[in-house]
Formats: sequence, C-alpha cells, structure tokens
Amino acid sequence: MGLKITRGSYAEPGTSLAFDTGSWRVQRPVHRHVTAPCHGACPAGEDAQAYLALVEQERYREAWETLVSKNPLPAITGRVCHHPCETACNRGQYDEPIAIHAVERHLGDTAIAEAWDYPIPRPAGDATAVAVVGAGPAGLAAAYHLRRLGYRAQLFEALPEAGGLLRSAIPPYRLPQPVLQAEIEHLLASGIEFHPGQRLGRDFSLQELRAQYPAVFLGPGTQRSRDWAIDSVTPRDLHVGLHLLKEWMDVGSVPDWERVAIVGAGNTAIDLARVLKFSGVPEVHIISHKAIPGPGIPPEDSMPAILREIEQGLDEGVKIHEHRGVQRLILRGEKVVAVELVHMKKLANAAGRLQRVAFEGTESLLEVDQVIPAIGQIVESEGLEALLEQGDYLQADAWGRISGHPGVLTGGDARGDRGTVTEAIGDGRRAADVMDAFIRATAEPAQSEVEQILTYDHLNLNYFAPEPRPAAPTLVVPQRDGAKEIDGGLTTQQVLGEGHRCFSCGNCLACDNCWTLCPDVAVLKTRDVAADGSHYVFDYGYCKGCGLCAHECPTGYIAMQEEP
Amino acid sequence: MDTVIPVEELRRQQSRFSGFEAGHRACLGCGEALAARLVTEAAGPDVIYANATGCLEVFTTAWPDSAWRVPWMHSLFANAAAIGAGMEAALKVQGKPTQVIAMGGDGGTFDIGFQALSGALERGHNMLYVCYDNEAYMNTGIQRSSSMPHAAATTTSPAGRERMGKRHLKKDIVSIVAAHHIPYAATASVAYPSDIHKKVRRAMAVDGPAFLHIHTPCPLGWGHDGAITIEVARLAVQTGLFPVIELERGNLVDVLPVRRPRPVKDYLERQTRFRHLFTDDARAREELEHLQAIADHNIDRYRLEAGGTDICDSDSADTVRRGGARWA
Amino acid sequence: MQQALEGSQAIARAVALCRPQVISAYPITPQTHIVENLSKLVADGALNAELVSVESEFSAASVALGAVAAGSRAYTATSSQGLLLMAEVLFNIAGLRVPLVMTCANRALSAPLSIWNDQQDSMAVRDAGWVQLYCTDNQDAIDTTIQAYRIAEETELPVMVCMDGFTLTHTLEVLDIPEQAQVEAFLPPFKFARSLDPDKPISVGTLVTPEFFTEARYTHHQALLRATQVIRDVSQEWSAISGRRSGGLLTVSGDATADTGVLTIGAIAGTLEEAIDAHPPGNTARLIKLRAFRPFPEQALREACAGLKRLVVLERALSPGAGGIVGAEVRAALSHLEDPPEVFNFSVGLGGRDVPLETFENLLAAIDKGSGHDFALLDLQPDKLPAEAW
Repeated sequence: MGLKITRGSYAEPGTSLAFDTGSWRVQRPVHRHVTAPCHGACPAGEDAQAYLALVEQERYREAWETLVSKNPLPAITGRVCHHPCETACNRGQYDEPIAIHAVERHLGDTAIAEAWDYPIPRPAGDATAVAVVGAGPAGLAAAYHLRRLGYRAQLFEALPEAGGLLRSAIPPYRLPQPVLQAEIEHLLASGIEFHPGQRLGRDFSLQELRAQYPAVFLGPGTQRSRDWAIDSVTPRDLHVGLHLLKEWMDVGSVPDWERVAIVGAGNTAIDLARVLKFSGVPEVHIISHKAIPGPGIPPEDSMPAILREIEQGLDEGVKIHEHRGVQRLILRGEKVVAVELVHMKKLANAAGRLQRVAFEGTESLLEVDQVIPAIGQIVESEGLEALLEQGDYLQADAWGRISGHPGVLTGGDARGDRGTVTEAIGDGRRAADVMDAFIRATAEPAQSEVEQILTYDHLNLNYFAPEPRPAAPTLVVPQRDGAKEIDGGLTTQQVLGEGHRCFSCGNCLACDNCWTLCPDVAVLKTRDVAADGSHYVFDYGYCKGCGLCAHECPTGYIAMQEEP
Repeated sequence: MDTVIPVEELRRQQSRFSGFEAGHRACLGCGEALAARLVTEAAGPDVIYANATGCLEVFTTAWPDSAWRVPWMHSLFANAAAIGAGMEAALKVQGKPTQVIAMGGDGGTFDIGFQALSGALERGHNMLYVCYDNEAYMNTGIQRSSSMPHAAATTTSPAGRERMGKRHLKKDIVSIVAAHHIPYAATASVAYPSDIHKKVRRAMAVDGPAFLHIHTPCPLGWGHDGAITIEVARLAVQTGLFPVIELERGNLVDVLPVRRPRPVKDYLERQTRFRHLFTDDARAREELEHLQAIADHNIDRYRLEAGGTDICDSDSADTVRRGGARWA
Repeated sequence: MQQALEGSQAIARAVALCRPQVISAYPITPQTHIVENLSKLVADGALNAELVSVESEFSAASVALGAVAAGSRAYTATSSQGLLLMAEVLFNIAGLRVPLVMTCANRALSAPLSIWNDQQDSMAVRDAGWVQLYCTDNQDAIDTTIQAYRIAEETELPVMVCMDGFTLTHTLEVLDIPEQAQVEAFLPPFKFARSLDPDKPISVGTLVTPEFFTEARYTHHQALLRATQVIRDVSQEWSAISGRRSGGLLTVSGDATADTGVLTIGAIAGTLEEAIDAHPPGNTARLIKLRAFRPFPEQALREACAGLKRLVVLERALSPGAGGIVGAEVRAALSHLEDPPEVFNFSVGLGGRDVPLETFENLLAAIDKGSGHDFALLDLQPDKLPAEAW
C-alpha cells in the first residue's frame, strides 16, 4: 500500500473521499418524475405543472410554448374549460387549488398580444397533406398537431368562419368575440390551409377525401337536434336549446317570453338560461333530473354543466329544479301554457343500466309560456351515412380510430362520449399522433397507461406556507348584460404568485432541500438543469441510502429504490 | 448543449463552502453529521476548530482519512473549550482575524467538559462553542448523559421492572450558560437548517463567547429510521420539548414560535428509546403526562406559543422556494 | 546580568526572555510565584503575552496545547496534584508532537497531602512521552528553561523542566539573567510546521487503528531517543553563548578515580557535591548528576560509570510496591555492561524531609552495612513506624 504514518498522526484535508461509503447502501435515492394530478386530469393532456414552473421563473413565452405543445387554444380554454386540473390540484387539500385556468388564460392572452409564433416548423415543400373536416375545437387541434408533426393540414369547414361551437354557442360573457377571433386567426396563421364554405356531403364526399389524402380526421360535431317529445306531444313553435342559443349569438335577441322552462342539465341549458335572463325574460327555469354538483353528490347524479356557470346563473336569478322531469305539456290550443313536473332521478335498473324514473304522486304544475329542450345533439348524417350505421355518433376507440375504416379518425362531440372543448382538443392531438404513425407505417405511439399520479400524501408539506388563492375580478350581477365578459383575468403579478404557490408535484422544484439536508454531502447541485430534469445529482460513491432526501423532498420527486 | 461533468469536478464546483466532506463514517441519517456540515459551511474558511472526543471526531478522522477541509484539532474528551481558549489567545496575540469554534457532544459539554466550558465562558474568550446534542453518550454505545431527557432509555438507564428510563431531568444547560452572561447563547435544531446558518453567523459576529446548542437526533440511539431524522427533530421543536431560543447576556431576546403545539406523544412514539412509555402501565402513563407537562412548561416559560402565523415560526421557517433561496 | 532573585522570579524572567505569546496559569504551591511573577511582567508590559488564568491545571495544559496548535509559543507551570490532573493532556501533547515547555516545581503527591518537595510528581508521568530535564540549581533552571524551548521546537517534543519545589523555587540567590540579545541569537522565532492554518488546513488528533498504531508510537519513541543528541548539542551551543557550563544529559564530577559512584538527580546534587568536595580525598566518590531522565541517557550513563565497582542511586521518589524508580532504570541500563557496578538504590527526602550534608556519610555507611541492595529509604526513622501491620 505504501502508506506511511505521519508525525503526530495528522491527516490531510478531505482525504475521506477515498472511503467509498456508497458501498453501505441497500437502497438508493432516484429522481422519479411522477405525473402531477393537474396533468393527469387535463383532458387535453396539458402538463400544467411544467408550465407553472416556467411561469414561476417568469419564462412566460416558454411556458406558453409548453402549454401549446398540447393545446393550441389557451386563451379560449382558459375561459371556457371546466378545469378538472383545479379539482385535482393537490394544493386544494392544503389551502386552495392553483388558479390554473387563470394562468392559462393569461398566457393565451399574452401570446396573442405579443404575437408569439406557435413553436411548430414550417412544412417542407414536399410535406404530405392530410385532411381535416370541421373547424371546431377538435378539428382545429387536429390540424395544428398534424402541422406540428410536419404535415400540411387541409382544414375544411362548412361555415364561413372557423370555431364551431366556440363561435356559435358560447356566449360572449364567457368567451368574448375578439378573443375568439384573435386566437383562431393566430392559430390559422401558423400555416393551416383553411377552406371555409366547404360542406361535407354537399361539396365533397368522404370517399373523395380518402382517395386524395392518406388519412382523414372528422370533427363534424353534433349538428342535428335530438327529437324531443313529451307524451308524443311537441309544441308547434318548438325551439331547440342550442339553436336558440346560436340564434341569440347571431342576432342578439330572443322572442318575447315571460316564463321559460329549459329541459336539460348541460352547458347549453345553463348558457341559454343565462342568455334569456340577460335578454330580459323575467322567469327562467331549468328542469334537471340531476342535482347541482357539490359535496356528497355522486358524479353520476351531478349536472354536467360547469359549476361556476351554474353558480353564476343562480346569482343572476335562474331557477334550477333539481331531480325533476317534465311529464306532460299543458297546452291551450297549440301553445304551451304549463308543464307538469314530477320528481325524477336516474337510477340503475336490474340490469345495471341507468334509467330515468319518475316518482308517481309527486306531480306539480309550473306555468310557462315556452318549454325548450336542451337535451343534446347528434351527428348530422349528411355525408357520413357509411359511418353512422351503428347509431347517432361516430364510434371510435381511445385514439379516435373508427373501426372498419382505416385512416379515418374522429374526435370531439361527434364521438358521443365527449361534451367539452378540452376533450375535443385532446382528441385532435391523439388522432394526429396515430395518423402520423399510420401514414408512416411505423409503430403506433405507446398506449398511455394511466401513469402514477403524485398523490397528496407523497408531498412534504412542512416546506410550504399557506397562502390564499387570488380572486379574479368578477362583474357583480347588476353589471352583467350578457355581452360584457363576467370573469376577469389575473394580473401578471398574481399569475406569478400562482406559479409560486404550485407545489411542483412529482417534479424537481430546485428548492435545495436535498442539497441542504444530506448529512453525507452526497447530493451535488448543478448549475444547469441535469439530464433528468432536476438540479441535483446523487453522488452514489458516497450516498449511504439513508432516505432523508426522499423523505424531506417537498414535491415527492425523490424515491428510494432497492439497490440493484 | 449537453455538458457532461464528472462528479468529482462537480463536487469541486459547489457553490457553498465545504468544510466537511463526504466519505465520513457516520451512521445513516446522522443528525450530528448534518449539523457539523451546516456549521462549517456557515462559518466559512477562516476558522480553526477544536473538537472533543465523540462520534463526530471518530467518524470524521480515522487516519489517514479526514472529512475536514478546515484546520481542525481533536485533543481529549473534556477539553474542547480549553483547547479553543488557547487557540483564541494565540490568534489574539498574533493579531490574526481567524476565529475559533470549539465543538463537543452533549457528553463533552454537559458532563465531562463542563468545567472547561464554564471557565472559557467566564474568561470571555472570543470563541463560539457548539454543542451537538444527541442526548446520550452515543459513540460508546448509547449511555446516559445529563442531557438525556427524562424517562428516556439507554443502556445505562434502561427501562425495566423497577425503572422507567432516566429518573432525572434534562440538564438545563442553556440556563447555566446564560448565567455566565455571555453576549450570545442560542439553541437550534437540524430541522431548521437556515436557522442554524443564521445563528452561526450571528455568533461569529459577536465579540466574546457565544454558545450554540443544536439538537441532533441519533437514529441508532433514539431508535428511529435514518430517513426521519429531520421529522423527529422538527417534532421535538413543535411539541415544545426542545425550545429554540436566543439569549443575550442571559436575557431571552428571541424564540422560534411554535405555531400549533403538537402533543408530545407524536414525538415520543417515533422513537424506541421511549417505547416503554406506551405500555399499559400506570407509571408509563404518568411519565407521558410528566413529559407533556415539561413541554407545556417550556412553552409557557419561553413564551413559545405563536398566536398566529409568522414566517419565522416552527411551521414556516423552512418554507422552500424554487431556485433554493432561503432566508439564511 | 547578575541579580539577586528568588528562584521562581528568575524562572519567570527566563520564560519572558523566550517571549511566549500565551501563558496559562493555575496556582499551586510551590509554583505560584512563577505565575505571579509572569502576571506582573505582563501587567507591566514587559511581556506581550495573553495570560490565561484558567480554572484548573487540566485546562492550563489544554490552553497551552491549543495555543501552540494555533501557532504561538506557550508556557505553563505546575506541581504535584496539578501535574496529575493534567496527566491526560500531557500524554496527548506528546503524542501529537507539539512543542511546549512546562516547569514542574517538584512536590510530593497526595495522599498523604504534602506541599513539600520530592520528585514523585514528575516521576509519575515519566511515560507521558515528554523530555524531562532535572535542574540542580536555579542558574541551571534558568539556562535549562531557555534551552528547553530550543530542544522542544527542534524535536517537536514537549519539554518538562523539573526543579525542586521550595528548595529551588523559594530560594533567593544571585543569578545571572541572560540578555535578550543572547536569547534572540540562540532561539529562533517560533515556527511549528503543523500549526493550524486556514491556508493549509490539516486534521490533528486522529483515530489510528492497530494497522498503524505501532508505527505511530515507535516514531515518538525514536524521536525521544534521538533527542539525546539534540540535548547535548543545544547545551553546548548555549554554553558558548552564556559562557557557562550548563546542561547536557548528565555531569560527572567529584573524584574521577573513585570506584564508588553516586548518581543523583535534582537539587540534592548540590548538597552531595559540597559533601564530596569537603570529604578527604581517597575516600570519596564520583558524582553523577543526571539531568535528562527522559530520554533515559543509557549510553552516557554507561560511559559515566566506566570503572565503577559500586554505584549508589540516590533519588527523591518511590514506586510503592516496587522500589526506586531511577534506580530500576539505572540497573536496567547498566545490566548490559560486561562488568557492571553493584548498584545500590536509596530514596531520600520524601515529602520535603531535609537532606543534610551528612547524607553522603550516611550513604557510605549504609552501603557498607549492606543496605540498599534492592531498595531502602535512607532517612527512614523506624521509631515512627506503627506497631501494627502495614
């Protein structure tokens, strides 16, 4: 060995590095990125934790770029999405969830104001073109993601303008026209070839598209109303909820009614109810066989409408009759003068299927001069007959593939199992990924299993301090007129604050805890972000595997694994 | 651009002063090792150290290895404070600005080193004395010291038919030190590393003797997993059993408020050295009550009850921020 | 410069000439005057040093150790109980190879309690690994103190300067205090290679496993053995500067032709020398004054004993249950000689009992009677012994 004793047996500094304490380990810490609950809950697949981290560092443009790598319409979704990310947000179990929708909205608005380019390449001259039918959220997203993957996107739309229900059916007090316009223009300008006034069936056929393009995405939405009758009776001047809403959006007014009953429990019902109130209809009733969402109400019994819209509607004077159905129409001549309400719930029958059940003996009369169904739409069959043999919707798998029709995919409301803008956007992305694999005949993308979600108990909350969520300004009821946007946005400072409040679930917060608390000086800090996304490196030459770092990591990003 | 830095090089590039290096032989999750690292990094390079015999000295300097990157001396068990005093006297005459830190465990401070400590404090040497308190003679295999809390079990104060662990109370070293009226004395805990940094710097800035008493859990001796060392230390503070305070010339000047005092049970049940208190035994129940009474008394005596939220209290003092900024 | 000074005072002056930067002081009879005098020198500004009035001898030695470790020349003094209280530190200082000079004003050890002079204290710590030098008179003590710093700093071994308490410390006599310039010429500024320095940090006081401990101990042992040469060289150099004979490992005087030798250590050498000189020639003895007890000067001793038929070792301590201490070591050293002298071993003057001039006669008479073959107390007064069993 050659080692010689020194005078007085003194030792040189730092020579302990020769002793490999890493050999003591039976387990080792590893960095393990776990999906944050906001990410897991987003129907469009946005990684909100990732862009909140960038927001916290005031890297707003990069935050927006991260966001639009999944969802190209944040200014819109920040306003209209029901934000399941916030419901899932772990911070909600600590004090109040992060106002993710407000951050998204802010990023979207800023991108438009600053004219940031979408981070997608210009298509090569010889890039393959793919067809997308329908310029609603599903089609817009599909076209965008196909462009992101390097294709030329040919987007066909029956109406003169893009947007679908965004334009025609979401009232301006939720989604102002200028915002919608600006974002759609911004998106189309990124290089999507837009062909308005082209109706499937009338102007071109599905067969032609399939012959001309290697793959086709269909986002036709649900343009046809369901037939509605009560006891086989339909009012002669029947107005279907969605159409009435669209008409109001277009024209700005509604017929002169005194008391209206709307049958339905979704966003259309609520939006219409509020629009009617804003337009001056004195009494507006919603008849819902489901209950207003709240604690103790199971999801299958909750009204599908967005809770905030329901709450604002109630503030504005809309009356909601929960667990009720319309049993009979009371007519005078051809005009409706009342509806007979009955207590009603959807219950599982003997075979386990949910059915509406009316409870005999609970009838009551509600005087109305109009009853409007808002019970949902189905796909307009013109041009899609071949695909609608099974029923009212286009049956598709999780990726959007329509079985029996390779290369033809769908997404959005047309699928029948969707109902929100964000889901439609997610569908567009998923379909684009699969279409890409299909066209290049490569293996399809790995089925994204439900990844592990970073649950609340994996956080170490000793390192966070309670801080309230900022309240965005909201118009008081007397100021609401149906045209002015009701919910305002947060200031940049407040958005930055939300970035600070984010727990960074399952991802490194660069908080220095592991570096500060390691007794064995085995955690080293890097100047730049390390390959695994963290700012720290475990020096396994010395790490003894005590587990302190994992236990004290605030975000649950460090896990202890058995030593290989 | 991807850069690959060899880990040895990265270690050299760390942005904090490294006085205490890896490769030492402390047990997994050792609270004392962590505290020593925090102290040396806060004190900086222009310091010489006198270290009493004990775990710290043994696990850092098995010849030829030394984990110290600062000038460091270990003499005997009982004389860290006296060695430090001699160093201080020498540096004073030499006119050098280099400072002195003497360090010892609770054995070397409360018991065998007590005389030297008192002498050094009384003579007013400009020196910081740091006591790493793991509440027993750990290096020799977990024997009772005067710093041990009441009712804890060690090999020389075991629980059995006749006894419920240590009969006597934890020696109130801070009051004794305070009675010397030195310019600065403080207690701290490894659960609050920024607080330790701050107190070391404060002590070094003081002209005259300073004393810092750091609570450092010993997983082996206290009977808990090394991974929860910080959690255990935090609970000691949050129950009131280990008050975190600062005194100047014997007078209480600041405390780490306890936002919501936890019951002592939360702290005790995590350590096997107190497991005899959780049996179905009237004496065990009485001892639990006694320990709760001691905690309540500490909260009263040092006015630890927060009465609200403070960013420097037991629940917020180590709030993290992206990028690692801490308040000390 | 010639001055009439008390022994303690002279030591204080000698120490001051060496300019230690740190002095640690704890009082114990008969050392107190040394530290009191040093305090006065510091207070009067004659010595620029930190005088640390510690709370025990254990801390006195520790403070001195800390000071040297931090790069300053240091000094402390003690006796008896104090020396034992700092025993742990003494071993530590020597094992760490730290250069320190300490005066031990020899005094008996409790129990029974005694404040008077014998050499049990320094003998009890002979294995601590220090250089131990015994002074015959106060001038010797002054010169040895100065030389001690030189020896210590050259060998990196601590040096204990032993001088008999009261006998030397409290005696007033005319002494030559060297000039500062002489000391400057002789003793270079303090430099210690292993002092603690942030620019060159090292770790001192490590744990050494069985793998290296033997070698560590061996190097220390060797350092002490080689110190014999340094002690010799340093005393020669100082002799040249001071103009006095002083030091060395031992001194031989008296009757060079006598076949009886007396070996002694400390102040009683003066008494014996006077007695031998006063004796009629032809019936005297060779006097060997042992100065260095550690390292034990085996070679020099053998040379000094050349030609002797009988050697009487007269010492000032006793190892209970064994016998003489110096005697045992002398016997062992001489046993290798082809024709070793017969060694007689006596202790005398324990607990401060006076050692008068007649001691020499008594000694000769005693060995003629055959006493002291193993070990005996020369001045024991049997009628004071109790009747019952020990």
